[in-house]
Amino acid sequence: MRRSLILGGVWVIGFPELALAAEGAPTAGSWIGPFTVIAAGLGMAIAAGLCGLGQGRAVAAAVEAMARQPGAAARIQLAMIIGLALIESLAIYTLVIALILLFGKGISFA
Amino acid sequence: MEAIEHPPIFHLPGIPDHVTYTWLSMIILTSVAFAASRNVRLVPRGLQNFLEVVLEQVLGLIDDVIGHNGRRYLPLIATLGLFILTGNLMSLVPGLVGPTGNLNTTAACALIVFVSYHWIGVRKQGALKYLKHFTGPVPWWLKPLMFVIEIISHLARPLSLSLRLFGNMTGGHILLAVIFFLMGFDGLIGWALEGSAAGVVIGGIGGLVTTVFTVGFLYPLKILVSFLQAFIFMMLTMLYISLAIEEAEHH
Repeated sequence: MRRSLILGGVWVIGFPELALAAEGAPTAGSWIGPFTVIAAGLGMAIAAGLCGLGQGRAVAAAVEAMARQPGAAARIQLAMIIGLALIESLAIYTLVIALILLFGKGISFA
Repeated sequence: MEAIEHPPIFHLPGIPDHVTYTWLSMIILTSVAFAASRNVRLVPRGLQNFLEVVLEQVLGLIDDVIGHNGRRYLPLIATLGLFILTGNLMSLVPGLVGPTGNLNTTAACALIVFVSYHWIGVRKQGALKYLKHFTGPVPWWLKPLMFVIEIISHLARPLSLSLRLFGNMTGGHILLAVIFFLMGFDGLIGWALEGSAAGVVIGGIGGLVTTVFTVGFLYPLKILVSFLQAFIFMMLTMLYISLAIEEAEHH
């Protein structure tokens, strides 16, 4: 099952022009287009997942600290929010790159 | 991206939309400030009271991050924060365009921060001494390497400031646009209004669910993100200014 999935993925990644050939009329070298869509989706998925892991660790540590020292809760919350925004911005960079890949008009490798 | 975004309600010919709506947010902020400070009272009431509370929060943050001598940078920091907050909230009003949803506006704000914290640092400790602090506390043979690394990290700051704000806003807009597209008269609700039995059941339930999801979750989330991003921008500006002026005391 898993091997067939991997083989299918390799087949799609390796030969996207074959998948398109049935729908007809891709111009020569236009396989860049499918690759950008794959790259945008995969990159965003990896970035979102790892960003979730990082944010989860940060929030867990902050909540633990707040439970131990309720007096310092406000300052811990401030630091946590700043940290969360900084972690999240890493995923946002990937989002920007995905948007450039999907909507950027200036990319023409072909 | 232009295909799924609706056009704004008014459009000045020859001028990009984000510039028009930057002017609109400037008009809003200026008129609010003018109305609040027209007759300033010792015991504030109404709008003056509200703005004083907001600015005192910013002052408290500055005292926490920079220290008491950072209060002179309040105009820069609070103006950036209020402008970005207004821009973020304007993008949530249907028919308006958020100026912060465009990379040009956020890059302009980030460049202002970049230039001004270097200027503040140079003014505070002199050009040569300020440049010396780029090398950091390392042995002399490491200093050229550290200098290059620090230059790169400083150049990455405006990039990350602008891209963070732009990406957060634009990502939210695309999410809202896709949900509205799915929900609207071309999507689920349109299917329900067509009249077929499956359309009424599935489209009706789906339209209801997406409406509740949008109103109950996505819009509050976007409002939270708007406040949070303006806050983060102010916070990082304070942090950069404090790093630029604080190093004088350590060495």
